[in-house]
Amino acid sequence: MRYLLEPFGSPFMQRALAEALLLGAVAAVVSVFVVLRRLSFVADVLTHTVFPGVVIGFVVAGTSGIVWGASVFAVLSTVLITVLAGRSRVTEDASMAIVLTGFFAVGVVLVSRQTSFTSDLTAFLFGRILTVDRQQLVVTAVIGAAVLLLLGLLGKELLFRAFDPAGAEARGYRVLALDLVLNLVVALVVVAAVRAVGTVLVIALLVVPGAAGRLLSDRLAGITLIAVGTALLAGWLGLVASWQASVNHGLRLASGATVVLVLVLLYGVAAAIATARKVRA
Amino acid sequence: MVAAVVAAGLLAFAGCGSGGSDRAAGRSDQIDVVATTPVVADFVRNVGGDRVHVVQILKPGVDPHDYEASPADIQAIADADLVVKSGVGLEATWLDETVSSAGYGGEVVDASRGVTIRQGNGTDEQAAGDPHIWHDPADARIMVGDIAAALVAKDPAGKAGYERNAATYDAKLAALDAENEAEIGSIPVEQRKLVTNHDAFGYYCARYGIRFVGSIIPSFDTSAELSGKELSDLVAKIEQTGVRAVFSESSLPPKTARTVATEAGVQVVEGEDALYADGLGPVGSPGGTYLGAERHNTATIVKALGGRV
Amino acid sequence: MSEPTGPVLLRFDHASLAYGRARVVEDVHGSVHGGEAVALIGPNGAGKSTLLRAVLGLVDVVSGRIEVLGSTPARARREVAYVPQVDTLDAQFPVSVGQVVLMGRYRDVGWLRRPGVRDRALADDALEAVGLAERKDDRFGTLSGGQRQRVLLARAIAQQPRLLLLDEPFNGVDAVSQQALLAALRRLQDDGAAVVVSTHDLALAHLACDEVCLLNKHQVAFGPTEATLTPELLRAAYGGQALELAGDSVIVAR
Repeated sequence: MRYLLEPFGSPFMQRALAEALLLGAVAAVVSVFVVLRRLSFVADVLTHTVFPGVVIGFVVAGTSGIVWGASVFAVLSTVLITVLAGRSRVTEDASMAIVLTGFFAVGVVLVSRQTSFTSDLTAFLFGRILTVDRQQLVVTAVIGAAVLLLLGLLGKELLFRAFDPAGAEARGYRVLALDLVLNLVVALVVVAAVRAVGTVLVIALLVVPGAAGRLLSDRLAGITLIAVGTALLAGWLGLVASWQASVNHGLRLASGATVVLVLVLLYGVAAAIATARKVRA
Repeated sequence: MVAAVVAAGLLAFAGCGSGGSDRAAGRSDQIDVVATTPVVADFVRNVGGDRVHVVQILKPGVDPHDYEASPADIQAIADADLVVKSGVGLEATWLDETVSSAGYGGEVVDASRGVTIRQGNGTDEQAAGDPHIWHDPADARIMVGDIAAALVAKDPAGKAGYERNAATYDAKLAALDAENEAEIGSIPVEQRKLVTNHDAFGYYCARYGIRFVGSIIPSFDTSAELSGKELSDLVAKIEQTGVRAVFSESSLPPKTARTVATEAGVQVVEGEDALYADGLGPVGSPGGTYLGAERHNTATIVKALGGRV
Repeated sequence: MSEPTGPVLLRFDHASLAYGRARVVEDVHGSVHGGEAVALIGPNGAGKSTLLRAVLGLVDVVSGRIEVLGSTPARARREVAYVPQVDTLDAQFPVSVGQVVLMGRYRDVGWLRRPGVRDRALADDALEAVGLAERKDDRFGTLSGGQRQRVLLARAIAQQPRLLLLDEPFNGVDAVSQQALLAALRRLQDDGAAVVVSTHDLALAHLACDEVCLLNKHQVAFGPTEATLTPELLRAAYGGQALELAGDSVIVAR
């Protein structure tokens, strides 16, 4: 047990843990919807379209500008993607893929004009959870609260739409508007995650917890609980692993990436349990 | 999704360094000094001697321009009595944020204080100037002086020892300087031209009258994207000026250097002979100390360009 | 069938429907009274689903009018319930039978609020009405196709609608479920609601419906069941896809 608590004696690890737990919990709740609505690809697109906003925010206003730039692009790309998904001559997949690569390329071009190109790029793509400061924690908390509030207020309508879009439309719900809200929620999680785990790794937080929950439960409440539990556990254990490896064994394990790996391992455990259940039944 | 997991895997294990805990805090009669680069760490060890326990952040072969601090690094800075950096923006992308995250409130000693900085070409990119000051032994002596002064200020009780060590080491640096000058002097004048992997030897060339023809990465930094045109311009320049060799570096992959050299029909100096441009070699190897690395650099350059070692 | 007892709840006044610029259904004309059941019959692609969606206000009426509960389709939506085909839904979705039925209450509960005691009571009653109260906590997907269709009907009943639209609810449904569906619809009609159900099943139409609307991109006929389900009219509706058997029996191709 001491092994699991030891790393969190210093403020920087405590902040990293707080960020990982906050972000993990919020992303896990959203991931339940992502999995139920089969939005993994849309979520992936959003992680790429928010990226140029990250770069522009950084170029204009330094590290503190990242959240603002990301937020603007989060809103813009959410609208674009929702509209594209709603009406498309080219298939939905193709137009999304075009948007994804186009935006991402713009971001890479912009960041390559910086001197600190490679380190900036890796920071944006993979996060720097160990240097998260108090301000970033506040940002994550605020965004997290907004996301949970939105989901709490609109939860039943989002559930209805997810289960029966035709029925929801027949009841007079604007399906496009509901989709816009959910996509925005996903984009907001990406914004919150940029500093901690980066835009590439956040997709794991947005998909794996919900997927693990779905494997182990047939009820919405159960799925959500398992998703959140998995994300929290991964955050904690991932940070422990990377700290212990670094401090006691001289082994470099990038912290954000380690959290994601632990998350995937936990999914593997969930899959094993689910298979065992099926075999026994 | 799969891409993200693979990326996570690669990242997590990227840069798995060799084990070894120089991370453990020093004895209670020592002061804990964190040094950023291998060169600075070497200077600190030489001046500090037994009174100083040095924790070196950047391992041999790691690119200092682009670094992500590990938990152990941040922990070490949090516990440090003194932090010493090389300066001139070398650690700009990561040090400040790491220091503030660690909650270190003490002084960050800038070893480059007092050194005349070679300016860049005026672009924003090169605003801070060329950080590779240590390749000129005269500047190295200034760095050592700064370090000694900082140690004395932090730990006045050890003043005598620090000043003695600094003087001894300073003499060695002066000897290195003279050696370099003699050996480079043996290169035929028209061969005193250098092409390197990135622009890391500006001070060295200025000191010893070598003409810097160009570098494959035309920047003080290692990250610039290479354009086809820039590379073919370089090849043309090499052919034009009659440079005899292209030198690759220990912390960068040699592929492009090889390509350019082949194109231009000249020798590529690589592998074990590669120059120590951004850092030092593994501990215990000849290039593992500043003096060893600089001697290696000079010997390699002189041999390749036709001089006598 | 008895005489229509209630007021006109749904009126088609030479209504033509279009998606964008393409006209898909022409000249539907007729009315549905409270307590009545009307069968919507025609081959695939005839526009039956489109017509139902138009009653919900989701399809443009380019000429003529559709009047629902004395008002426009969009405004009347609150009291109109729609039962989709059950195979449009994901059977793996992690939602219980009870939760599905409760969804019928959401619109009345409104945004930002949670279903209350009364809502849950209405949902329970609706589930009772289709004979599936004991399956309330089971996952929706664990029920048979017919049972799931009944659950969707319960969801509509929980809405307390005055007009009920069903899109081919009897497709591939077992006899028990079919009986349960018919019984529940009958009870709704007894309470004054009107029912419009699209179906391929002529026998069922004879059994359960007062009137029939024959549709094939345009209205072929709209009248009492006996008078409308004649071989000539069916042939007209189904084109060459109707086959006459001995006497008055007709087999129609789907």
